[in-house]
Amino acid sequence: MKEKSQRKIFDFLLKNKIQDFIGVPDSTLKYFIDQGLKKKKVIISTREEEAIGIAAGISLSKNLSLVFMQNAGFANCISTITSLIQLYQIPIIFLIGWRGYLKNDAPEHEKIGKIQPDLLKIINLKSKILTENNWKKTCQWAIKKLKHNQPCALIIRREFFD
Amino acid sequence: MIRKEAIEICMSKIGTSPIISANGYVSRDLFNVNDRSSNFYMIGSMGLASSIGLGVAIKNPKKTIYVFDGDGNILMNLGSLATISKIKPRNLVHIILDNNSHESTGGQPTDTNQISIDLIANSLKIKVFKTSSKNELQKIFKKIKKISGPIMLLIKIKSGSSAGKRISFSPEKIRTRFMDTL
Repeated sequence: MKEKSQRKIFDFLLKNKIQDFIGVPDSTLKYFIDQGLKKKKVIISTREEEAIGIAAGISLSKNLSLVFMQNAGFANCISTITSLIQLYQIPIIFLIGWRGYLKNDAPEHEKIGKIQPDLLKIINLKSKILTENNWKKTCQWAIKKLKHNQPCALIIRREFFD
Repeated sequence: MIRKEAIEICMSKIGTSPIISANGYVSRDLFNVNDRSSNFYMIGSMGLASSIGLGVAIKNPKKTIYVFDGDGNILMNLGSLATISKIKPRNLVHIILDNNSHESTGGQPTDTNQISIDLIANSLKIKVFKTSSKNELQKIFKKIKKISGPIMLLIKIKSGSSAGKRISFSPEKIRTRFMDTL
């Protein structure tokens, strides 16, 4: 996704009262994260599960938060999402960079990349893919979910090689 | 000192402050010693009590937030200490009930008798207090109330004690009543 769109998405979420963005960096999301760092709204955690714990504490304090990660990290988090976030119904937006979306991405991303949509489905975490055209509507969908106490995921596909 | 006794002393000093307690026997003992709405019993997601506590501390700067952790739990999330060190929450007190074992799963060793959690925390500039004595534990609370965090209180306890009954509230109830106290 283009730099400009990623920065706009960050600004849009911030404007809509999401105050804290916690996670582990991912190159697919780098402009989004950079925008947050510039505005001093980002906490970089050591692991994705740790980020979810911090966001859960923020959410229990009645503040809206977002956790960002690569899908490799999302795979690490399945147990935490089911036994903390879904179990207690703690509303958090997950923003996930989808490595392995393109067939010739790096080999370490191939397997998880392929099952990424199934992983979301199997744990019943509602998700939508963010694109250049739909991002505003899709972010509004996620914010609405939060206000109904429901966690959800937004996905950004990795559509380039480096 | 066994875990239940350590928790009893802590509860006589903490007042109404919010507590995030780790899964397993830590939460069960807290529930049986002194159940209150401001206890958040983390029944799953092992390792994350200190992270949840950090999130609550960030958003509630006027309250002192206590975490009741275990040695097995903190070893699963040592990175949390690095993040706490980086964020420097002045209102976070991280209590670790260290019995050198995974008591809830049958008493398997964590080997924290060979791992200096206090030195790790020290190197991260977290203010550390360590004790295995009931008297000293009472005195430490007087000290920590006068200084600002992040603080770690490492309590060495005996292993081999069982826990009381399981937490009888639903996770949703635990969440809702905890949120209402903040």
